[in-house]
Amino acid sequence: MSIKGWRGRLLVVDLSQRLFKTVELSSRLLKAYIGGRGLGVKIVYDHTPRRVDAYHPDVPLIFAVGPLTATPFYSTARFCVISKSPLTGTLFDSSCGGELGLELKKAGFDALMVKGSSKSLVSLVIDDEDFLIKDAEGLRGYTTKATREALRKDYGEEFKVACIGPAGENMVRMASINSDEGHVAGRGGLGAVMGAKGLKALVVRGSKPLEVADEKGIRELNRLVLKRIKSNPITGKALPGLGTLFLLQVVNEHGMLPSRNFKNTSFDEAYKISAELFKAKLFKRRKGCFNCPIACKRVVNLKGEEHPQPEFETTWALGALCEVASPEALVELNSLCNDLGIDTISMGSTLACAMELSEEGLLDTRVTWGDVEAMKELIADTAHRRGLGRTLAEGSKKMAERLSRPELSMSVKGLELPAYDPRGAYGQALAYATSNRGGCHLRAYMISTELLGVPILLDRLNPIGKAELVAYYENFLAAIDSLIVCKFLSLELDDNIFASALRMATGGLFTRAELIKAGERIWNLERLFNLEEGFTSSHDTLPERILSSPGAPPLQAMLEKYYEVRGWNRAGKPIEAKLEELGLPGERITM
Amino acid sequence: MKNVVYEMFRKYGRLLSLHGYVVGHGGNLSLRSGNTMYITRHGARLEDLRLEDIIAIPIEGESSFDSIASSEVLLHRAVYLNGAQHLAIVHTHSPYAVAISFFLDELEPLDAEASYVLRKVPVVEGEAGSVKMAERVAEALKDSHAVIVRGHGVFAAAKMLDAAYRYACLVERSSQLKYLVEALRGLGLRFKEAKEL
Repeated sequence: MSIKGWRGRLLVVDLSQRLFKTVELSSRLLKAYIGGRGLGVKIVYDHTPRRVDAYHPDVPLIFAVGPLTATPFYSTARFCVISKSPLTGTLFDSSCGGELGLELKKAGFDALMVKGSSKSLVSLVIDDEDFLIKDAEGLRGYTTKATREALRKDYGEEFKVACIGPAGENMVRMASINSDEGHVAGRGGLGAVMGAKGLKALVVRGSKPLEVADEKGIRELNRLVLKRIKSNPITGKALPGLGTLFLLQVVNEHGMLPSRNFKNTSFDEAYKISAELFKAKLFKRRKGCFNCPIACKRVVNLKGEEHPQPEFETTWALGALCEVASPEALVELNSLCNDLGIDTISMGSTLACAMELSEEGLLDTRVTWGDVEAMKELIADTAHRRGLGRTLAEGSKKMAERLSRPELSMSVKGLELPAYDPRGAYGQALAYATSNRGGCHLRAYMISTELLGVPILLDRLNPIGKAELVAYYENFLAAIDSLIVCKFLSLELDDNIFASALRMATGGLFTRAELIKAGERIWNLERLFNLEEGFTSSHDTLPERILSSPGAPPLQAMLEKYYEVRGWNRAGKPIEAKLEELGLPGERITM
Repeated sequence: MKNVVYEMFRKYGRLLSLHGYVVGHGGNLSLRSGNTMYITRHGARLEDLRLEDIIAIPIEGESSFDSIASSEVLLHRAVYLNGAQHLAIVHTHSPYAVAISFFLDELEPLDAEASYVLRKVPVVEGEAGSVKMAERVAEALKDSHAVIVRGHGVFAAAKMLDAAYRYACLVERSSQLKYLVEALRGLGLRFKEAKEL
């Protein structure tokens, strides 16, 4: 099919039957769902049996890219993984940086769908139109780092890798999928889905040129983008200067950095693990994704070895939340999680939950706040499902439920909350509660307006207008995840710029309204899936500890308004008129 | 300390708003205390400041809090480090000063008070938030109490916030007087220079 920006092709791999098939994707489908997350959501919605375990062979695992991937537009070196989460049971997408997405697009595909499962551990190799399922038993037990190194040695640097570590192989519910060093599809346990399929690694190389409608236009647009990115205090100064860790002190200063499993809303020793301290003690060099003007990543030097600097969320989850105040320890804990293939946020939060359970005498193993050596052991035990690790591997919600203390899991829909305390920002609180994938700050990053003042500074403790904004940002960022572009660009660039980029890449007549509408369609389809899986409005909530505290956000009032704004009924279900407006659930993709 | 600074900023922020020298989210204020600068927050309303709109950052070096400080934080730092030992900065978007900046390279106040206090007010160029603007303003404020950035606004610096406030007000008043004088001249009236000011 001759379309621009997209490839119009889906590669389907059946690991049970050891079969490959390419499926044509219509331009109508691609225009409706854009690509990336949207395309993956549609495929999962259409081709996942309901009410089955996430490890069921019929549950597909999707790797998807967007129409802007491999174009000259900035910050598009990302891909999206979509499936059903073993941690939450919801439809789940997880975004990852690195160059695998570029290679998949260059190989000629908008997405890869993996279904079935292999009895033995395998790698899936894609080299343009050559596909191979290769035995990977020799990589069993390998860390993600060792896996990447082994596969690079076998195939060469041109091939890019996405793989799981021991955590994924052992179907730990918070197992991640790791790509290039420091790039992780962390949340939701999609690494465990990959492990359930017996898929150790995806290895991809592509060489086909991509036709875009207006390459010159994209490059000119980039000039405007660059100017605006550089002028923004976050994308132009804070992120390049200090990395995401700049957020730690800022969030703490506002009394929004939870510690002790959300018992406290700030951490007295935050200054010991601040961005400034990391920079002074351990910083080696900056690092950026391919074709990104922000370059927010950092490499540190610890005992003569290079490690990725932990991001803000990791530093909080394994640091403040568990009362660890050592930069060196945090580098080690982060690298350990990365190597074993475990989501740092869920791991940190599950450990914090375990610490509180231990404090209450409910665990046989003693786990104390700030005990770094114990944390290292428990992380390894989690990855290998041994001892207490067998319980930790289930995530904080199942662990706390098992011990009859469900209220000690700081999670929404089973996904552990991230670093911004919802008692300090009501819009973010609403975003957590309504997130389709559970406790997540990236569905609607309300912190940008409620704390950082971009594009405008709002009163974080005023609930008025937050429902409308949360719904807008949810739609906008769903579109961003489908294009696929790094979300940091959205801290400065508005929907108009992205609609322009999409027009220039595809030649299609996309307006900003249509872009947001596509995002709304994606959001509602995710919601429909979750409803069909048994989720109800009762799951749009926050942990009891948050709701019962003096600074509790007025969630119920905001939710009522939110459902109204969304065009849903009081039970949180999209009404017929809304579904018709969005064309949902839409024509099923035929394979 | 932050609470004290808050009370001061709140007072002067309100006054500047009442005058119409700052509107919406425009303008900013800062104070130096030792190695710390207290500056208003990016996106804050000077007419209605909250305690959390006062941001404390180091005078020298990079800080996480630069991310939420006024977008002119670079300029404020440059002024505090220019050697003139200023301890307070007021920045406004005063309308007459901005208007007059399109026609002059230097404002020479015509009235007694401003000509005595301010002497001359240079006009410099610069893109908002840029290093070049920061450098030019910092340089100008070595010898002047105030400077106008063409098409942008006024930066006034002093040892005390009240003095910086006064300078900012005088610049605007002088600009307004200049406008009125030119308007009257344009109506055909003969200008009589004050010989004894």
